[in-house]
Amino acid sequence: MFYQIFEALDKKFGVERAQAHCDIPCGIYDPITAQIAALSVVRMMDLMAEAEAKGHDNHLAFINSMARYIAVKEEHAEKAKHEVRVIWGDYIKPEHIAKHPELHELVFKIMKLGSKVRQTADRQTGLDFVEAVNKFAEIFWDTKGIAVKKAKAPYAPALEMVYPNL
Amino acid sequence: MLQLLKVTGESLSPLYKEGDFVVITTLPFFLRRLRQGNIIVFQHGLYGTLIKIVERVLLDEDAVYVIGANEDSLDSRRLGPISRAAIKGRVLWHIAKPTH
Repeated sequence: MFYQIFEALDKKFGVERAQAHCDIPCGIYDPITAQIAALSVVRMMDLMAEAEAKGHDNHLAFINSMARYIAVKEEHAEKAKHEVRVIWGDYIKPEHIAKHPELHELVFKIMKLGSKVRQTADRQTGLDFVEAVNKFAEIFWDTKGIAVKKAKAPYAPALEMVYPNL
Repeated sequence: MLQLLKVTGESLSPLYKEGDFVVITTLPFFLRRLRQGNIIVFQHGLYGTLIKIVERVLLDEDAVYVIGANEDSLDSRRLGPISRAAIKGRVLWHIAKPTH
């Protein structure tokens, strides 16, 4: 009954529309967000190491900076995991798995490394995380039939990254 | 305080479908208490008036991340965080379109 009343109101006065919008024309997926997030994890590890090496006469300032680095590291580790999960869950199709049977294991590895980089400040773990996410990007672009190139990130830490060669 | 809107599009399907009506509250009292899972209507510069689900509330940024209910939904992966200032209201009442 209420529906009919509101429908009549809409016809008479014109009710504003709220769009439950879908992607146009289809999902847009790009692993670069995950790659940058993984890179940010290593950057935070580097900043933490630098701060520690400098010494900390002002203990309060040191703790404050360290807390901020750790918070960002936590956030970006989870962000990278989230972005990879979205592509894996929403975009990857059985035919992609058939061509890249290692993909499930790789995603599992990324999830584990993404958790491990939160637990540790060990740079090598961060590098492993970036490498795994880059491998994921390489496979993603292959599913699109797009060749990739490897180049150093144009910002610290200047690690080698995988980019689509457009 | 209250506003009636009609849903277009299918990004919230099967929860909310094309042609459904929603009544939203625009009272700040409700908008300050957004939680994960709330359905909100907000204004976007490019896409106009949108209706989405709150995925999480970003307290430090005074914003929310939004999602749809299906994989093709336009959401915060592309829209980014939605500032509270852009939020018009929160859905209080959903009136589904009769199926027959």
